[in-house]
Amino acid sequence: MILVVDGLNRHLFGEVLDDMFELRARVFGGRLGWDVNIEDGKEIDQFDHLDPAYVIGLDDEGNVVAAVRALQTTGPHMLSDVFSDILCGEAPMRSATMWESTRFCVDTQRLTRGKEKNSVSYATCELMIGSLEYCRNAGIQDIITVIDPVMNRVLKRSNCAPYDYVGQTVPMGKVPAMAALLDCSEERISGLREFADIRHDVFIEEEEALEMFEAKKAATLSPANRDHKPLTDLEKYFVEQMSSAKTEEERQAVLKLIEALSDTFTPEQKTALLQTPRAFAHEA
Amino acid sequence: MDIVDLSTLPEQDTRYDEFLRQVCDKYEMDHAAYAGMNPAAGTIHGHVTYGDDWKAHYQEQGLHLIDPTLHMSQRSIAPVDWSRLERGKDFQRVFRDAHDFGIPDQGITIPVRGPYGDIGLLSAVRECSRDEWKKLVPNVISDLQSLAVHIHDNVMTSDTISRMLYHPTLSSRELEILQWAAAGKSQQDIGDILSISHRTVEVHLRSSREKLNALTTPQAVGRAIGIGLIYPG
Repeated sequence: MILVVDGLNRHLFGEVLDDMFELRARVFGGRLGWDVNIEDGKEIDQFDHLDPAYVIGLDDEGNVVAAVRALQTTGPHMLSDVFSDILCGEAPMRSATMWESTRFCVDTQRLTRGKEKNSVSYATCELMIGSLEYCRNAGIQDIITVIDPVMNRVLKRSNCAPYDYVGQTVPMGKVPAMAALLDCSEERISGLREFADIRHDVFIEEEEALEMFEAKKAATLSPANRDHKPLTDLEKYFVEQMSSAKTEEERQAVLKLIEALSDTFTPEQKTALLQTPRAFAHEA
Repeated sequence: MDIVDLSTLPEQDTRYDEFLRQVCDKYEMDHAAYAGMNPAAGTIHGHVTYGDDWKAHYQEQGLHLIDPTLHMSQRSIAPVDWSRLERGKDFQRVFRDAHDFGIPDQGITIPVRGPYGDIGLLSAVRECSRDEWKKLVPNVISDLQSLAVHIHDNVMTSDTISRMLYHPTLSSRELEILQWAAAGKSQQDIGDILSISHRTVEVHLRSSREKLNALTTPQAVGRAIGIGLIYPG
């Protein structure tokens, strides 16, 4: 699934961004050997301070498996400042309906080969679909993207070949880099979706993502039955109620019930129940 | 095609307001507003189609200090639909008042980032059902993006110092394509001549137009000739 983090919601997703900066350090500092600044295991540059938009691929557990960064071409961006070699010193394009995408990366260590979910190919296609659709929804018509030849091959193989290139291919670390042009047309998006067999909406909403991370944290921090004792009938009842709750109201009702019956629990149990009904649920 | 173009309007302070009114007419919006900040010149610009009563109230109450459609939207690179902001207390504060003046709280703000840290925000609002709004926005969003940059660049270059800083730099590819356009060649022809895709010609022309602050290719050709970037066809 794809989460979009920008200047408006980045305060909610600090840990996701940290994971992404670490992935970027492994990919650009390590595998590609680019001359990037890595501090504390994270690769962060001057453009990360300009409130770019990040399109981030997450696996089902909420781990960052792919990411890319987008900036407007009307203002400061990488091709206008640091990638001038690629443009042979020429002025970069500037357009209200063209965004620049940089730092495209996929976690090849966590992901598998093949084409199914959790593969490099799936994560790459999902991220491409997410970025193209995010651009299209913003009224953007073209993307200029700085990529390496491997990524270029991946795009070609995924039914998503760039329609042209700008400037020249230049050496950068262990691999060359180039600037490719992609349109955000329906044809391109549906071609990619067809290739990857991804039919569903790839985006995860802000609230949904927050809930997922909350649940993940709760599950690792304090499972309600961390003593591994079998659940009592009453606990099982709560779990059933919680997992069948469809709305926030129903969820709140269960929490109130737990609160009301709290004298039957130890304070610890109660806290755990209230905090982690979801983590609790999968133990049932 | 009728286009909304600042250069066709008389050089007066009211031309930006007139431009915004034309944007509303063409894109079925109730109101439009532009705010621009130019840190290099230390100036702030504002133009709106709202009534004078709301303008006065907005200023008296200092709503510009908290208005999230200004402060939040500039942190996004994508247009910000106000539904993303509506839960904040500042939004509720501003739009509770706006409601009393008949200003709807359904809108979108398009942020523009310029080369010198300058920021522009073009907002458009419309009172209609959520469904209608969701159908309208995708149809107009690309055009609004272009017009946001158009008004922003015009406002930012309205003083002499900024105009000098804003001298357009076109790449040799852009100049080459513009030169062929000046010779009367179509996009298709130019693509064939240079052995590049039709779309590549299109994006370079779009970029050249924007750098020259023009909305049409003939305008861009005229201006490029005017400042000696290319030769007359």
